[in-house]
Amino acid sequence: MQYSDEDRDRRVTQLRKGILELAVMGVLYNERHYGYSLVRALTESGSISLKEGTIYPILARLDRDGLVRSEWVESDQGPPRKYYALTLSGRQLFDELSKELDLLISMVQQRGKGSEQPAYGGKKLAVRKA
Amino acid sequence: MNDYPEAVAKIADDYLRRVKAQLQLVPVREQDEFLREIQSHIHEAYQQTAGDDVTRILAVLRNLGEPAEVVADRLPGAMVRSGAKRNLPLYVLAGITIALFGIPLGFGGVGVLVGLLLALMGVVFAYYMLTASFLLVGAVFMSLGLVRVILPEVWDKLIMLGFIRFDGPVEVVNHLSPTGQAFVMIVIASAFAASGLGLLRLGKYLLCGLRFLLSLIFDWTRRFAQSVRRRLHRDRSHGVPVGQMSFGKR
Repeated sequence: MQYSDEDRDRRVTQLRKGILELAVMGVLYNERHYGYSLVRALTESGSISLKEGTIYPILARLDRDGLVRSEWVESDQGPPRKYYALTLSGRQLFDELSKELDLLISMVQQRGKGSEQPAYGGKKLAVRKA
Repeated sequence: MNDYPEAVAKIADDYLRRVKAQLQLVPVREQDEFLREIQSHIHEAYQQTAGDDVTRILAVLRNLGEPAEVVADRLPGAMVRSGAKRNLPLYVLAGITIALFGIPLGFGGVGVLVGLLLALMGVVFAYYMLTASFLLVGAVFMSLGLVRVILPEVWDKLIMLGFIRFDGPVEVVNHLSPTGQAFVMIVIASAFAASGLGLLRLGKYLLCGLRFLLSLIFDWTRRFAQSVRRRLHRDRSHGVPVGQMSFGKR
């Protein structure tokens, strides 16, 4: 049975949503960011497209779990910016999750070797340490 | 500096109001902080977006997403952090309001409600007392029947002491043989025991009904408390105008 484009898109969206939190942690790993700059960092490479507002629930969740810390910094160009940085426990968790992701990716790639063409030829999902 | 054309400021303020409306249950301090953050985001995005003023702000807000999406996950966290302590004064206030005014039933209505509850509890208590007495009578008759057959000397002693007397309509039992007397008593015991067990079994339906009534009353009370809380929040949120967060106008 063939899957529909709609079904594929829905699953791709789910996959991206699932990985977005890890991507946010990756960007905050070495450099602090405020909301807008974080969105830019995530979308600049073209690896992830998202509604900008979805970043805030993720930051709220990370903050609640003590994985990021935040501080307000005055800006010459407009209102103060709220900067986020990964905490020590956030870094540790990111390292562990990255390993898990590597395992998953290698498992998926191994399975994919048998097939002639990849089932989905869309954009790559990249998790990087900024 | 927030220096926007009037139309842009109005659109952005309207968006912030919608975000704020989604944050009703979040403590005011967190509301303000989050709104400042969104305001900062809008400013940054606006500066980076090309086009005429209105097109720019609309594009920024479209990229930001619906307020409900932006505040998702704010509520649970805020509610966890605010905890019972923060809500306690609210519940105390609601309790005092109910006690003083008995809204919307009125003081008499609350009295009727309490009376109804007590009456229901009385019915349940009486029901189970009756069940217990049936089972007790059954057990006593069963014991006497067995004593009549197995320990006739104890039976005679009980007759002599006056604990057992067959007078009036049951005098006919005196004319039966010891085995016959035991049989009659065991039959009576079985009837009482069966009735008691039947009542015990039916009691669960009574309890189910009562539980349903209690849950209805509890649900009504909860909804009432929620409506009071919502009303109080609305009053409080009106006290902190979004205008404090608003964009400056050119």
